[in-house]
Amino acid sequence: MKEENVTHGFWYADWSFPIFVGIMSAAVFAGTHMYVQYGVGAFNEVAIVAMLKAGLDGGSYGAAAAFGVSFLFARILEGSLVGILDIGGAILTGIGIGIPAIFLSMGIKAPIENFTLALIVGAILGLIVGGIIILIRKFTINQSNSTFGAEVMMGAGNASGRFLGPLIILSACGASIPVGLGSVVGALLFYIWKKPIAGGAILGAMVLGAVFPIL
Amino acid sequence: METVIILMKSLIIGGLLGFSSGAGAARMFHAPKTQGLGAFRTLGEMNACEGDPASHFSFGLGFFFNAWASAVGAGAFTQDVDHRIIPNWATAILMVKNKNVAETMHNPKKMGIAGAAVGMVLVAFLNTTVSAIPKSLQVTAVDVLVPAATILIATVMPVLFWLAAIDAGKRSGFWGTLFGGIAQLVMGNAVPGVVLGILIGKGVDEQGWTKVTKIMMAAIIALFAFSSFFRGFDLQMIEQFRMQIPEWLDKAHAIFSVGK
Repeated sequence: MKEENVTHGFWYADWSFPIFVGIMSAAVFAGTHMYVQYGVGAFNEVAIVAMLKAGLDGGSYGAAAAFGVSFLFARILEGSLVGILDIGGAILTGIGIGIPAIFLSMGIKAPIENFTLALIVGAILGLIVGGIIILIRKFTINQSNSTFGAEVMMGAGNASGRFLGPLIILSACGASIPVGLGSVVGALLFYIWKKPIAGGAILGAMVLGAVFPIL
Repeated sequence: METVIILMKSLIIGGLLGFSSGAGAARMFHAPKTQGLGAFRTLGEMNACEGDPASHFSFGLGFFFNAWASAVGAGAFTQDVDHRIIPNWATAILMVKNKNVAETMHNPKKMGIAGAAVGMVLVAFLNTTVSAIPKSLQVTAVDVLVPAATILIATVMPVLFWLAAIDAGKRSGFWGTLFGGIAQLVMGNAVPGVVLGILIGKGVDEQGWTKVTKIMMAAIIALFAFSSFFRGFDLQMIEQFRMQIPEWLDKAHAIFSVGK
């Protein structure tokens, strides 16, 4: 296969992985700075950001710290073994919410309140996390030439993707009758155009949902 | 003046985030040989769009409205910015010119550059827009996409990975079932567990119980142990078996609840 030939160098290497994690962590940590400073910009779900907000509003940072750090911990181990680091748990929740909560609970405010410092601290944290993952990989996956069932996982991943189109239509039909009909028509149009029906189903549902809002 | 500062900061954050998100997502397609940065659901969803730019764009668009609404309402972007919008829109941009996924979606360099562009525009937009988006679009997106994605992640993916593990041989079927079940209990989703089961099962099939597979097994056990502890699964389990929680365990948990 052609893509097998080019999977070397900076863009594919293990040593560059901590750099990618560092860059993303810098951005996410700075996003938390934005949220604390301007009230907008945290890269997480409302419910998880709310835990940090509880601390900012004078309550306890305990929930955010424990939740975030446990996620980070589990994802580091999992990520190095399965080959994909989950950014939701590790970076968005762990580095973006958990670690800022620990800093704030200890009274260390500077990395969160200063933009430049936020970028630097985030990058360092990311480099550490990325480094640990590569280190674990060195002692596990990389020591052998076994594929560890990668093709099985890829097969299942591809198969699950095909479910999305029908699932969107199912849930659109549950939302309201116009939205359901919209998604069916959209899916049909995309099917006739030989495109995956998921996209058509979403667009159809949104168009009809705009005209006939769900009550 | 504050708006200008927010805009500048947003462009920096968006550029960094987009770059790493795009490149990390592309690296996922080479996992486990290359360490990827993303999520299994992102991988599944990006495959679901089957290399069609319109599908990638509209999939991202649906979550964009949700993210926008959440940003306007609560200041939180939702995880979808990183998981779904940037990777799918970066792919859509690349695919306008070239439909070959191996040369676009699977290429970390191209995805990194396209992702950076998407990230800068997206984060700047989300952080600076104060006007609310049409309520009806928001509601539809949330009502339709969220349940569908939830079923996909909570039911379809675990079942398909599980069946794949069972079909892949006796060892991966056994370990996939064991770890899948425990992962569902401890983490709330079986997929990571089943994947670890396939990993161990296939690893042992191909090379036996070597040092590598033993270390992996130890790491998996540590993973489950730490996850249960930090998620309070151990306390819940003892409670539901109608037993007394030992005092030392309670104390150990108290140490880690920072700031309480």
